[in-house]
Formats: sequence, C-alpha cells, structure tokens
Amino acid sequence: MERQENKYKYGQLEQFKEALELGHIKRKMLVVNIIIILLSGILLYFAIGQNIDDSLVYPSILMLGIIVLINIGFYHVDHDLYSNLKLAMYTTIIGLYVTANVLVFNFLTPSVFTVLFLTYAIVAVYQDLKAMILSSSALFISGFLLVNESPRIFSPTEDGNPQIIYVQSFLLIFVLLLTLSSYILIKRKTFFYNQLASIKESELRNIELMEEVAFINTKKEKDLSPYYKSIEDFNKALSKKIGVPDLLGRRISILTDLKTNSAVDLTQKYKDYTLEEIQELEVLQFDVHKKMQQLSIKASKSLDINVTKKEIFSESQFKSFKHIGDSRYTQIISFVVFYTLLKIDKPYLKKLDEAVIKDMLYNSEFYYRVDRDIIEVYLNNSEVFDTIVNDYLKGGF
Amino acid sequence: MKTLIRTIRNSEFLTFNEVLKLKVLIINLFLMVFVLLSIPLDTVDEFGWSINIIIPIVFFGSVIVTFLLSLVNFNRVAMHLSILTVMGLTYYYVTGTDYLFTYILFFVSLTVIIFYQDIITYLLYGGVLTLYGLFYISSNGSELTGYYSSTSIGVSSLTYQVIFVGFYLVFLLQFLISDNIYEKLNNEYVRMNKTLERYQDFSHSHLIEFIEKMDANPVYKNQGFQLAVNELSVFVNEFFEEDGTEITEVVEFYFFIHSADIDEVIKDENLPAVTRRYASELRKYTLNKRTELVSILFDFATLFKGEDSYDDNRYVYNIDKLFRNRLDKILALVILYKYLRTEITQYDRFGFINRVLTHEEITVMFTSKEFREFISFEQVNFFVDNQELFEKHL
Repeated sequence: MERQENKYKYGQLEQFKEALELGHIKRKMLVVNIIIILLSGILLYFAIGQNIDDSLVYPSILMLGIIVLINIGFYHVDHDLYSNLKLAMYTTIIGLYVTANVLVFNFLTPSVFTVLFLTYAIVAVYQDLKAMILSSSALFISGFLLVNESPRIFSPTEDGNPQIIYVQSFLLIFVLLLTLSSYILIKRKTFFYNQLASIKESELRNIELMEEVAFINTKKEKDLSPYYKSIEDFNKALSKKIGVPDLLGRRISILTDLKTNSAVDLTQKYKDYTLEEIQELEVLQFDVHKKMQQLSIKASKSLDINVTKKEIFSESQFKSFKHIGDSRYTQIISFVVFYTLLKIDKPYLKKLDEAVIKDMLYNSEFYYRVDRDIIEVYLNNSEVFDTIVNDYLKGGF
Repeated sequence: MKTLIRTIRNSEFLTFNEVLKLKVLIINLFLMVFVLLSIPLDTVDEFGWSINIIIPIVFFGSVIVTFLLSLVNFNRVAMHLSILTVMGLTYYYVTGTDYLFTYILFFVSLTVIIFYQDIITYLLYGGVLTLYGLFYISSNGSELTGYYSSTSIGVSSLTYQVIFVGFYLVFLLQFLISDNIYEKLNNEYVRMNKTLERYQDFSHSHLIEFIEKMDANPVYKNQGFQLAVNELSVFVNEFFEEDGTEITEVVEFYFFIHSADIDEVIKDENLPAVTRRYASELRKYTLNKRTELVSILFDFATLFKGEDSYDDNRYVYNIDKLFRNRLDKILALVILYKYLRTEITQYDRFGFINRVLTHEEITVMFTSKEFREFISFEQVNFFVDNQELFEKHL
C-alpha cells in the first residue's frame, strides 16, 4: 500500500510554508531580473560594439525587456502574491528559453549554442521543482532539435564529421546531472521548509502539552484575573508620572469587557473605537486569547539559547532512532522502547491501539526516524509486536 | 538501480554524509560513461596508440578508487578524486581532439562540481576550470568557431568567453543564495529545537514530580515493561542474527544505566570499550531524563493536540509585529512583565519548577540582544524609563 505522507502532518503547515517561501521567491525573482537586465546590456554591447547585424540581436533584447515588465506586473498584482510570483517564474522560464532559441537559430553558430546552458543556469536560481523540470525539458528538447536539424554548425571543417552522437551524449549527461543536482537540492530545501514550519507548530503544541502536564502535576488552574488590578494600578501611576488623566484606562475597560463580550458587540459601547482596534485589543485578552500566554511562556524559556556554527550543520539536531555510528542493537532497543511506551497509558497520552500505531508510524514522518530495516520488520510483524507487549503488560501497567 | 532511485527520491531524509556518498556514486556512474566514451581511439587522434590505451585504464582505475573510498566512508576524498578525474578527462579530450563538442565538456565538468553543492570546492576547482576554459578559448578560438559560423573568430571567442564566465558566475550566485537561505533556515531550526527541548525539559520534570507525588515507580523500573522490551528486541534482532544472547545483555545494560552515572561509566577506562560505547549510544534513549527518546515521544503526542486554524500571526511572538497601536504595545509589555513576575516558569536551585523571575532578572532579559525577538528598542526604552513603576505595581 502506498504511503500517505501527509496523513499525520500538522494541518497548519502548508499555509505557513507558503508564507515562508514567499519571501525567498521575491528575492530570487529580483536576482533573476537583475541577471536578465545585465544580459540585455551584454547583448546591446554585442550589437553596438561588435558590429553584429542589429536585426539578429534586437528582437532578443526586446523579449528580455518584455520578460522584466511581465515580472513587474505580476509582482504588483495585489491578490494572491504567492501564485502570481509562481506564474511569473514559469513565464520567465518559457520567455528565457524562447529568447535563447531565437538567438541560437538566428546565429546558428556553436558559440551561441552555449547560451542554452547559460539560460539553464539563470533558471536554476529559482530552485523550484516544477521550474527545474520545465527548464531541463526545454534545454534538452532545444539542444537535441538544434543538433539534429543543423548538425553542420558543429563541423570544424567543410567536410568534417561533427560527431553528433558525442554532442548529444554530453548534452544528455549535462541535463541529467544538473537535473539530479537540482532535484536533491530542492528536495532538501523543501524538507527544511517543512521542518521549520513543523517545528513552529510543534512549539505551540509543546507549550500546550507542557501546560497540560503542569496542571496534572500541580492541579492548579492558572488564574490571570488579578492581573487587571495590577495593570490598573500601573496605569494610574504611569498616567500621573507623565501627566495625562488616564493613559490606558479605556483600553483596560475594553479588555475586561472582552472577557464576556465579542468585539462586534463592544463597537456599540465604545463608539470611539473601530472594530479593528477592538480586535487588536482582543489579542491582549489573556483569559480568552492564548497569544499573550504563549508569548510569555516562550519568552520565559528563551534566555541563553546560543547556536554555534558546528550545531547548525550537525545531523544530531534531527532526533531519530537511526543515528550514524549507532549499533544495530541500539537502533533496535531505542525503537522497541518507544513502541512499548506507545502501548501504555501515560498522563499526557493514553495507550494507542495497534492499528493506530501502525498507521501513524507508516504514514507520518516518524517512518523516517527509524532504521528502514527495523521499521519494515515492525510493519510486517505488527501483530507479533502487539501480542508480545500485551502478554507482558497484561492486567495493566 | 531501483534502490538508487528510491534513495534519490528520499534524499531529504539522508544525513549530509549520506547525501555526499550518494552524489559520489552518481558521479561515478557518469564517469564510467565518460571513460567508456574515451575508449574509441579514433576520436582522440593527437596521441599515440599506447597513450590511447593507458589513459582510459588510468581513468578507469581512478573511478574504481573513488568508489572504494566512498565505500569506506571517505566521501570527501572520493568527491575530490571524482572531480579531479572529470577535470583530467576534460583536459584529455580538449587537448586530444579538434572537435567542437569537446568544448561542451567544460560545462559538463563544471556541472559535476556544481553537483556536489559545496561552495569552497566550486570556487577552487570551478575557478581553475573556468580560467583554463578562458585560456583554451583564447588560444584555440579559431578551431572552435565552426566552419559554417556566421560570425567572425573574434566575436565567436568573445561569445564563448562571456557565456562560460556567465555560467560560472550565475551558479556561484545560486550557491551564495542557496547557502544563505540554507544557513538561515538551519540556524532558526536549531534555535527552535533548543527552545522546544526546554519546554520538554519542563514537561518531563513535571512528570517526574507527579510520579514522585503519586509514590509510583517510573516506567523503566517496571518488570513487565522491561520484559516486553527485552522480548521485542530479541524478536527484532532475530531478523538480523540468530543468537539473541548479546542483545539481551545490552537490554539489561540499558535498564541498568538508568540508575548509574552514565558520565562515570563512559569515562571509566577499566570498563571494556564495548560497555562504554553502549553507554554512550544508549544515553540518548534513557527515560529518567529528557532525552532524545522522550522528546520524540512528546513530539508524537503533539500530533493529538488541538488543531486551531492558521492565521498570519500564529507564529509571531514580537509585540511590535503583533500590534500597531503604541498603547496596545505598552499594554502587551505590561502583561508580559506581569506574567514573568507572577507565574512559576523557572527551576529553583534544587531543580524543582518552583521559581518566578525577579525584577532584576527580567531587566537583564528585556535589555538583552536576544530579547529583540519579542520586544523592540522602543519598548525596552519605555521599560527602562519606567522600571520603578513596573517593579512596584506589577
């Protein structure tokens, strides 16, 4: 059965990944457009400084100019910037290959043929899977057709053998290598986007888990209502110090009212406040909204966290049961302990049914945290696993 | 081949070293094709027959050595050797033939270097190759023009040079962008990972306190749990080796180190090396501390936590970004201070979660550089200017 990798992903990942990627796409788009402008400048130099027939070069310069204009256009469309920039990217790739082919077919010289490679390099800046597939296909098809249709351009002499098979072989190797290189790079980069998005969501859930476990331990519910009194006292003292009647008083009133009323309802009571202003204050309402608590908890745990260069590229940052250098026994024992823990009741997580464990281990990223041979042993023998654990933990734990 | 394709498809889950090994293997496969292409002797007409036989053998030997080096995990050396081999092949082709296609080899060689995605390697080998390429074009421009070319030798050479240098520079730029993004993402990931471990430290401490209060035994002391782990380990191990005695001993040792000082075990030179090695490996998976295993378990548990919908501020913790109104920002700062002064968020000197931050500690915190993640300079200044009010009323 095919794995469903997204089955147990955090639901919020995709939207955050999009937001994270958007900033990087903008930067790459800027770089590609700067390169296109430079390229236009070089073409112009060839046309003016090297006495090349203008009609062979100017159409390409015009096309490059149009590509830049299209990019600017897409960038300034307000709605759904992420999709617009992606569309701009694909348009740019097609535009660049069309321009390169126009140049190659206008000149039909081996030197201009290599402009196809340069086009590939420019497109590689995007580091996008679909862009890479589009670019590799365009390069291979253009190169292959050109070599097949006009083999004589590679001939060194009038009756020389252009060795087309070598040109095609090298072209194929070139495209395959670059495609593989980009593929691995893009996969790893996407993985990092995923990891980062995942860890951001994991942080919120770990805060929730920590609060839940703290409650189990202390049996005390957090009561933040006395905060209002202190904040009022602070407001009075602050207002007095800076010489204004009541700096934060109205806002504190809204905050207390927000505990029992919606922002929309309060627009009637506080007519001098807009709905947006009251909604912003809603985020500060710590009895209803979690944001300020989450922010404060994170802040309380964030001091003295230093990251060294050595740690940045260390594989030990990825928690798993299959670290390089660990013996097979360690990999087996660690996974088995983890599995057995899933089968017993814990204060923060009830014991799980075998079917649930198997499904989650197979269809989540936890599949990759276990050595492949060991997880296969488990997946093929999950009933035996279940029987063994049930036998020893019979009668409860 | 199926395994290779599967490994490439799942390459994001490989470690840096494993990825490098995979890349060396792929390059080696391509190099084999190159070496085979170098065998037809009529293509290399500038050399004598003996050289035309010896050279493919040397290149073939080099590919074999590269493969062996990667087998014994000397992946970086294997990488360098594979690059040198492809550069050697390029030199051999471009100096031995007068065909135009050989020029494409410069691009192919650069591609091999790019494939490894290592900026220093690219700067070094790629730089040398680009310089050699430029020199080659300058001295062999007429041979590269092509008989039917519509441009002069000068324009043709200049075109070659501009495109080749452009290719090198654009990929260098791509390296810089990619390295920069990768490092930033990595940096943030490690920082987040450490923060996460702090939450998990606290969760684990709460659990230990809870178990002590309940007067219960921790799970690793439970005999049923120990036997289940042992039996399962022996069962899994049977798929890899017949004898289950040794793994039983390692399982016993695993539970033993829960009550031992693992640092002392690792340092104790009187103990057999294998014992110390297992202590070092297994410490990551003990249950009496917040270890890697405990973190994975907590991570697993978070999959069952609430699914609040996503909004743009979901992962924003900076007061300046969360609020637009200055008075709202002041209120947020006040609430943050109050929370830190009121709620138990720290370990006491006995290692129990039983302490709130003092005004002095919060002041150090607020004024530290790292805290700009939460509050801006403007808010720090407000706090410093009014800190006596914060201390007295909050």
